[in-house]
Amino acid sequence: MTQALNVFQAVLLVLIAPLLRGVIGRWKARIQNRRGASVWRPYADLLKLFRKEDLVPTTASGLFRLAPVVLFAVTVAAAGFVPVLQGSALLGTTGDFILLVYLLALGRFFLVLGAMDGGSSFGGMGASREALVSTLAEAPLLLGLAAVAILARTASLAGIVQWTLRQDFFELSAVHALAFAALAFVAIAETGRIPVDNPATHLELTMIHEAMVLEYSGPSLALIEWASAIKLSLMAALLIAVFAPWGMATTATGASLAVATAAYLAKLAVVAAAVAVLESSVAKLRMYLVPDFLGVASALAILAVVFTALMR
Amino acid sequence: MGLLEFAAAKALASSAVFLFITVLLMAAAKRISSCIVLFSAQCAVLVSEILALAYVHRSPEAYVVAGLVFVVKVLAIPYGLFRIVDRLNAPREVVASTSSAQSVFIAAGLILLSFFAVQPYVRTLGVDEEMLAAAVALVLTGAFLMVSRKKALMQVIGLLVLENGIFLAALTTTFGMPLVIEIGIFFDLLMGVLLMGLFVFRIRDTFEHLDVSKLRKLRG
Repeated sequence: MTQALNVFQAVLLVLIAPLLRGVIGRWKARIQNRRGASVWRPYADLLKLFRKEDLVPTTASGLFRLAPVVLFAVTVAAAGFVPVLQGSALLGTTGDFILLVYLLALGRFFLVLGAMDGGSSFGGMGASREALVSTLAEAPLLLGLAAVAILARTASLAGIVQWTLRQDFFELSAVHALAFAALAFVAIAETGRIPVDNPATHLELTMIHEAMVLEYSGPSLALIEWASAIKLSLMAALLIAVFAPWGMATTATGASLAVATAAYLAKLAVVAAAVAVLESSVAKLRMYLVPDFLGVASALAILAVVFTALMR
Repeated sequence: MGLLEFAAAKALASSAVFLFITVLLMAAAKRISSCIVLFSAQCAVLVSEILALAYVHRSPEAYVVAGLVFVVKVLAIPYGLFRIVDRLNAPREVVASTSSAQSVFIAAGLILLSFFAVQPYVRTLGVDEEMLAAAVALVLTGAFLMVSRKKALMQVIGLLVLENGIFLAALTTTFGMPLVIEIGIFFDLLMGVLLMGLFVFRIRDTFEHLDVSKLRKLRG
């Protein structure tokens, strides 16, 4: 039963990822006084792209076609590490949060290679920017998760979630507040949302993710788009699981499962609303200010780790 | 009554965390208006702490102090500062000599330093370690904001943060000063902000900017 639920939550994470994107886009449009596209639009986009022809530049090697597949595969594998509905995960016994971080890094590495293999100058620019952002985001992501892991005395994400579930809801510690702030900053940078990158357009000179995928088309593009949607949903699930897991199913009964699903969807709606409000109210940072933005995240994450030693 | 006691205990336990967060965000903030909002939030945390202490120690005087802090620091001073920002018509960025990432690093270092600095006093006085550390951290970061920010208005905000730290230190070590003295201090503070506001206008009118790092020459 537990294992079946583990499979279900990983599949849920992968399948509702485009919906989360659609909901954020829709709410953003409402805030900006537009009507906006249907929330199911990302699914239609994916379906359309999967039916189209895959065009490969004449200069590209086999790596160009391989990169989207690897990216999608490692992102789905990473989704298997995150507890969503209960305090355990599909791959939770085989790896810890460090593996999760580096699975995401592996996917990004292949995307960067594919972008440079495409042979356009935009791909190279996007790739170098992505490399810069991900290098700077890696330290706060690892340190922020490490701070919470030190408190829980376990490196597995499922263990951290189970420890947090046992804590009192009001037991707010400085470590949690600081780590949450750092990870929220990192999640914005990792998923390429405003103020670090603009996911809505590829007509900007300072774009990062969109510049990398300019040369891709058809099923390859669909895989990349789906993978980046999964990454957004994964980051949201990670923040929810580590900092607000209350409501997760502790017993494998139908009622607790229904409560867990409802609680998760409600928390996801809060995240989507927060992203929509944030993206409508702040301007995109200049490229040279992004290191500063992530520097603040690093400072918060380091302070979080040091505080684990200071506080009892 | 159980609920009130619970709320008071939680307010005492977690207010240091919120104070640290307001200080760190102030170091990261890029606009003067967000600094003012953060200062107001910081004072609101102080108010909740005074209320919790007043409830735990059953002291009616402390409720008066809490009300005074709320009116003066949470409402009046931020309102006055916003009025000054509006009427100055000057650029609203915090011009700093350190980048915001560096500022947060330095503020984080100051917080750690204050934890180590209060160790001997915590043992001899028997007070809450986090609270006293938060007080020292507020004093240090207030001073840091004053020296690293170039706008004259940010100096005012830095001084106010520093004053919050001194107030918190008095609160944790001796459970506040006598009421008459507190009222005197608040009146002083209000006058101080008023005078500094006037001073900021004078600087703007005389030099056509607010950058204190350029105040080198005397002008008639």
